[in-house]
Amino acid sequence: MAYVATRGGEHAIEQAERLFRSDLGKISAARVSEIKTSLPYLVDRVMGEASLYEPDLAALALAQAGGELSEAVLLLRAYRTTQPRIGYAKTIEQADLFTVRRISAAFKDIPGGQILGPTLDYSHRLLRVEVLTGEDYVPEPVIASETPAPAEQPSLTAWQKAQGLIADHATDDVAPENIPDLTREPLLFPAPRAHKLQSLARAETGGVLALGYSTMRGYGDIHPTVNELRLAEAPVRLRHPNGTVFNAGRVRVSQAEIITKSAKLELGFSATFGWNEVKVISAATLDRASAQDAPHAASTEEFVLYHTEPVESSGFCIHFKLPHYVTFQSSLDAIRRVKADNVENGKAPEPVNEKEPAL
Amino acid sequence: MSLKDLTKPWTAFNYGFLDESAKRELRRKMLKAIAIPGYQVPYASREVPMARGWGTGGLQVTLTLLKPDAVVKVIDQGADDSVNAVSIRKFFNRVGGSAETEDTSQATIIQSRHRVPEEKLRADQVLVLQVPNPEPLRPVQPDMSIAREMHGDADYGQLWLVLYEQLVKSGRIMQGTEYPSLVNGRYVITPSPIPRWDVKKLHQAEHLTFLSAGREKRIYAIPPFTNVEPLVFDDVPYRVEDHQDKTCYRTDVTGFFMNELPQEDGSSLYELSDSNFGIKHLKNSQGETLTIGETWYKNGRMD
Repeated sequence: MAYVATRGGEHAIEQAERLFRSDLGKISAARVSEIKTSLPYLVDRVMGEASLYEPDLAALALAQAGGELSEAVLLLRAYRTTQPRIGYAKTIEQADLFTVRRISAAFKDIPGGQILGPTLDYSHRLLRVEVLTGEDYVPEPVIASETPAPAEQPSLTAWQKAQGLIADHATDDVAPENIPDLTREPLLFPAPRAHKLQSLARAETGGVLALGYSTMRGYGDIHPTVNELRLAEAPVRLRHPNGTVFNAGRVRVSQAEIITKSAKLELGFSATFGWNEVKVISAATLDRASAQDAPHAASTEEFVLYHTEPVESSGFCIHFKLPHYVTFQSSLDAIRRVKADNVENGKAPEPVNEKEPAL
Repeated sequence: MSLKDLTKPWTAFNYGFLDESAKRELRRKMLKAIAIPGYQVPYASREVPMARGWGTGGLQVTLTLLKPDAVVKVIDQGADDSVNAVSIRKFFNRVGGSAETEDTSQATIIQSRHRVPEEKLRADQVLVLQVPNPEPLRPVQPDMSIAREMHGDADYGQLWLVLYEQLVKSGRIMQGTEYPSLVNGRYVITPSPIPRWDVKKLHQAEHLTFLSAGREKRIYAIPPFTNVEPLVFDDVPYRVEDHQDKTCYRTDVTGFFMNELPQEDGSSLYELSDSNFGIKHLKNSQGETLTIGETWYKNGRMD
């Protein structure tokens, strides 16, 4: 008779992993490429939560995880954290963005125009079931506009600031390497603004939606108006060691400004990698809400930022699957001791089976 | 100079997985933790290829301490063969080329979840405890910023109140694991979910203990020969689990922390929770002559 064979545990976990992977089958470059091209919004979501912009790697992570989102994000985060930092991109302004969609709910029309861009907002959400019986769905061609919208659009807040409607806060002139970096420093409270926006940028989409929705619905004093929502491609400008600033490529970004209509107009802001409108609208609302003095969960910066962290929250949730028998044993000991005390003192034991109401 | 000159040839990962800047940060925070016993030092806590809550805090500390000649033991709930312990041990071998051991006395680094081995650790060994929640004040103050101020003020009154309430409500202190303890007379820590049985082993120990919470991004330490005193009332002594008279059904060894194994007939059997300690006893009873180190507890007592 011996303790559980050590190799037993090792064998078990290896086979369990093999089972998961064999269910998914072969992962080829073609499968990864198919994921990247057919599910760009999913790839965007994963890149945003991982805070790593690399569509091929994100598609690979999705393929390896079989679409399990928290696993895919963890794969990318664990890869990202080991990468050396070889440079800092130049700051870009909103007007530098190659903008494909830009709308405002605050005005009927805005300087630069309302640009709908690609959206399902006004579509009828009907399944094309005929596809399943072999009838391909081929999207109808887009009719090009007679006057194409300019690729670069001004910022609406620039106009509002010029009008004196919104406070024009001074910005600190910080060297890029001195900008607080959440991926290299712990999050402490009150959080620097950079940490807060970075934390929201890499937050879990469902998490920010749930908390953001709670403030929109009434747990809080925020009645957001979408001041400006943008989907764009942002140029990544780097300085070459020889001094030249060059364009290293473009990344898809979304950003939202929400505006509150209390005593004065206040902005909430959020931006993230990839096109993910629900996330940036919710996160911009939370940016504003969590600066409030209200007794609600979503009005507390710490509550919002800690509980929307995708890797931490999902990891802790699934860790409860690990054995906890030592902790349980320790509590059992205390409970038994109290029972023994009660017997010793002739006290009636507390009922173990309490009747639960049927409904 | 070109961008190529600034980078090194591509490798899948650095020695010990973490990049050097991450290790440097962690080393600084570990030194600070040693310098201020029991103080929770915030650290960046990088993502590692394991889920948060599965030992990522301990993992980062061990990865930082890792050397090619390190001998690493990993235990979960006292057992070396627990699946997650196996997985973590394999990872150290994969990224650090370190030797693996199950023998407590052979290890230079012992990463553990929820137990301190029964054999006394030596000055040349480091214990790394995985911590789910580093904040002893969390039950009374979930807001971390306020809790930090309370630590600054050594404002621990509410912890005493919690223990007092348990006494009043149940007639006993009901705290199971994570028993709040005062380190070096200054900071109250939660000693991670080790049983009360193990907390006494941290007091004036020869070895260094790191407690690291990856998800919560906090590290704290108990340097060698440091006072670790569980919070107790003068007239209500600290009590460890009633395991001193339990006997392991596999080894006939009495007086150590046990796992309770419920039996179909309604009774319970007990086995040593420290699996390597049990295996050594078992092998010796079968004729082998393995050295079993000195134990903290003798005859079920530790004085």
